[in-house]
Amino acid sequence: MINDMDGYKNIDNAINRDTDRGRDAGKVTNNSEDTNNEVKDKQEKEAMSNRTVNRMIYALVAVCILFFSLVAYLTYFELFKKNKIINNSYNRRQFEMEEKTLRGSILDRNGTVLAESEFSDEKQVRKYPYGAVYSHVIGYSSRKYGRSLIESRYNDYLLGINESSAVFNLRDRLAGEAKEGNNIYLSIDHKLQALAHELMKNMQGAIVALNPKTGEVLAMVSKPDFDPNEQKLEENWKSMVESETAPFLSRATQGLYTPGSTFKVLTLTSALENGMENNIYNDSGSIVIDGKEISNYGGKAYGEIDLKTALAVSSNTVFASIGVELGEENLRNISERAGIGEKIPFDIPVGKSVFQYNEMSKTDLAAAGMGQGKILMTPLHMALISSAIANDGIMMKPSLVSRIETHNGKVLKKHKPEELYRVMDHDTAAKINEMMQEVVNNGTGKNASIKGIKVAGKTGTAENELSSRQKGKEHAWFIGFAPADDPEIAVAVILEYSGSTGGSAAAPIARELISAWLKG
Amino acid sequence: MKNYTRFVKPVYMVVLINLIGFLLLYMYSKPNNNINNNITIFAGFSVIALICLTYALILKLEMGDEYLFLIVSMLMSIGIIMLYRLDRNLAQKQIIWLAVGIIMFFACYFAYLKLNIWYKVAYLYPIVSYILFIITIVFGGGKRGANNWIAIGHINVQLSEIIKVLYIFFLASYYTDPDKFRDCTIAVKRLKIKINISKQWIFIALNYIFIGFLFLQRELGTAFLFFGVFIFFLFIFGSKISTLVFNAIIACIGLVFSYFYFYHIRVRFDTWINPWSDISNKGYQITQSLFAIGSGGFFGTGLGLGRPDFVPEVHTDFIFSAICEEMGIFGGIAVIFLFFIFAYRGFKISLMVKETFDRIVALGITLMFALQTFIILGGVIKLIPLTGITLPFISYGGSSLVSGFISLGILQAISKKA
Repeated sequence: MINDMDGYKNIDNAINRDTDRGRDAGKVTNNSEDTNNEVKDKQEKEAMSNRTVNRMIYALVAVCILFFSLVAYLTYFELFKKNKIINNSYNRRQFEMEEKTLRGSILDRNGTVLAESEFSDEKQVRKYPYGAVYSHVIGYSSRKYGRSLIESRYNDYLLGINESSAVFNLRDRLAGEAKEGNNIYLSIDHKLQALAHELMKNMQGAIVALNPKTGEVLAMVSKPDFDPNEQKLEENWKSMVESETAPFLSRATQGLYTPGSTFKVLTLTSALENGMENNIYNDSGSIVIDGKEISNYGGKAYGEIDLKTALAVSSNTVFASIGVELGEENLRNISERAGIGEKIPFDIPVGKSVFQYNEMSKTDLAAAGMGQGKILMTPLHMALISSAIANDGIMMKPSLVSRIETHNGKVLKKHKPEELYRVMDHDTAAKINEMMQEVVNNGTGKNASIKGIKVAGKTGTAENELSSRQKGKEHAWFIGFAPADDPEIAVAVILEYSGSTGGSAAAPIARELISAWLKG
Repeated sequence: MKNYTRFVKPVYMVVLINLIGFLLLYMYSKPNNNINNNITIFAGFSVIALICLTYALILKLEMGDEYLFLIVSMLMSIGIIMLYRLDRNLAQKQIIWLAVGIIMFFACYFAYLKLNIWYKVAYLYPIVSYILFIITIVFGGGKRGANNWIAIGHINVQLSEIIKVLYIFFLASYYTDPDKFRDCTIAVKRLKIKINISKQWIFIALNYIFIGFLFLQRELGTAFLFFGVFIFFLFIFGSKISTLVFNAIIACIGLVFSYFYFYHIRVRFDTWINPWSDISNKGYQITQSLFAIGSGGFFGTGLGLGRPDFVPEVHTDFIFSAICEEMGIFGGIAVIFLFFIFAYRGFKISLMVKETFDRIVALGITLMFALQTFIILGGVIKLIPLTGITLPFISYGGSSLVSGFISLGILQAISKKA
């Protein structure tokens, strides 16, 4: 009956039956069993027990392993996996915390509110009182479209996440009160920014104005721009994304333009450093280099001129021959010292300016010498080069955020001026400064001159991919600074595809800005 | 006379946890909403009173192992505090279930000790179980894919929780004396089916009927739990390794088959492998659970400061995720260790007790708790595929809690014998 099973079980069962019997009958027939039988039972029972006990201990070990694997996996998950996981957008905890924190405000250097959040019907609304004026500085913070520029980069500060204040806020959190984020003070001057925005009218391009001694950005405008208020953003999003004019492109920091004649200040720097200061050039209006003809703007011939005059009249023929004379190494060297090809650290993303040559032919050298060819610069970078000349050759690290304060005024972070590059030595900077003053006094940059203030500058009219096919599409550039002997402001202005010269279109804008800043 | 001071320390810890937990819950309530906070204090004292009273009785009546209940009351306290934070109405109900559970604990303790019939009615266990299964299928309501409870008045009862206890008794009575099943096979004999292979195979078939019913009700977690206990028993008490291997192969074939033919099993498996590809739908539960566990860190956000309410079913199957979020990974590990020492004591009782039936029942109860814990904890942390099942003594649910206390009462009774 049971012999199909194994021996162990038979014994096991037999014992159990006996035990059961004993349990049932025990009360009636006190120990009536045979003693021999009992001894035999005992031995068999021990054999069974040992085996079962062993197996039970294996089972206990298995259970141990199961529990240990839970602890091990949980620890592994916490240490190595969770960081990748919890930032998933389906983890609503992040948004929940944002909703509970009143996002900090963004203000200008004087405390003018540029962006602030308010609760309305339990929901937070981000308000930008000046609309498009700061769209390419502050960016936007939208529930639907995310965040950009300062709103994105300083999100943690605005939400007050990065302080280890969880413990101290415990009482507020227990009471369910909204936390307040930190306020960000920009180095921007609202009056100057508003003026710059106004001066750009409906033109495309960018303006950057900064303090050459500290690197603080005073105004920064990119056009076209957009209204970053949530409702407007939603209305215009689709058309803006599809628009050919790329209103989301922050031209001041991300736009890459041929610098044209404004680049000549760097060519000149290298020329001065290589002992070409007293060279005299014969400008006949055009020059042929390796079979390629290069001519001055409007084909004008200036005759025998020195470097100072060459810069003032922006002679292409002279700077093309200087480029060839300097050679590849020197041109590369000055570009590198000016940070071209390097990533410029800034509070919002900056495009990398490039000097895109592998091996330079003579025509390349000539083109590079006058700022044409494969050199592309951001307006911010041109403003920095201008400020480096103004600041005795030292380029300061640009900055947009001057300080961060908690909602009750405690300063968390404060901007400290830092040197970024030494572009040229003190003497060279002084000489170029003087030559740039000549540009404004007697040269192409006359439109930037202000009565009673020494202004230094350089114009540029840059050929580009459109102008090579179609006349009247050149970029108009102006870079400069003032007052020349103790500069307080450096600017770069570019008007995209304006078709007019830097001197006639860009210089007047720079003049307005400089004069407004210096006259308060 | 026992020296009571020897046992005083652990119970203090349980009381302390309750004091801290309920005090925090009292403070957490926002002052401006209309919830009566005094109820929180009352609830806290009820829990402490129930635990202390039960523990005093266990000592007074010398009911055997005094640590079993302490471990369980610690688990239960963590569970009720967490539930209270998630949903105070559910927690208040759970406290009532706790009282019912403790009554059942004493009732089962005495019933098991005084009545000596448990190993005699072997054939009754599967029969009663199958009747309960059929009742569930006929009268049952379903939620979230499972079809596993019936309504008695206003209370939903999950009969499978009772069947768990019956299943252990069924296994125990078979391994104590397989001959008892001969009687059951007579009917089969008259149909002229060979009796030679019947006993073991009938036993195995009866087991698969249990598991089959659970599959039908889509209680996958419980089905795996029963199968796990079954395999452990085959290993410990069955002597032929071939039987074990045979059943393991059957299980594998069954799993592969059901992967291809049952959509809900394929979903469980796919969301285990990669829940992120369908995060908004099928992978939602498990990923929300992982977010909760990950957000707490080692020390947790603190009670009431996390957002475990984002996790679906957080008060039942996913309560461990809530514990990890607000009490931290360390809190979660503490819970795992509590279950582990409970399992350890269960094994110890099983090894010490003399009667085979008692031994097997104790082992069965212990394995049931241990494997159930592993299945659900492994599921919510994505170590193994997720199958819905409650976390013993912690998840919300009257049936689960009462069934837990019935098992605990029996284990307590056996520890008294040991």
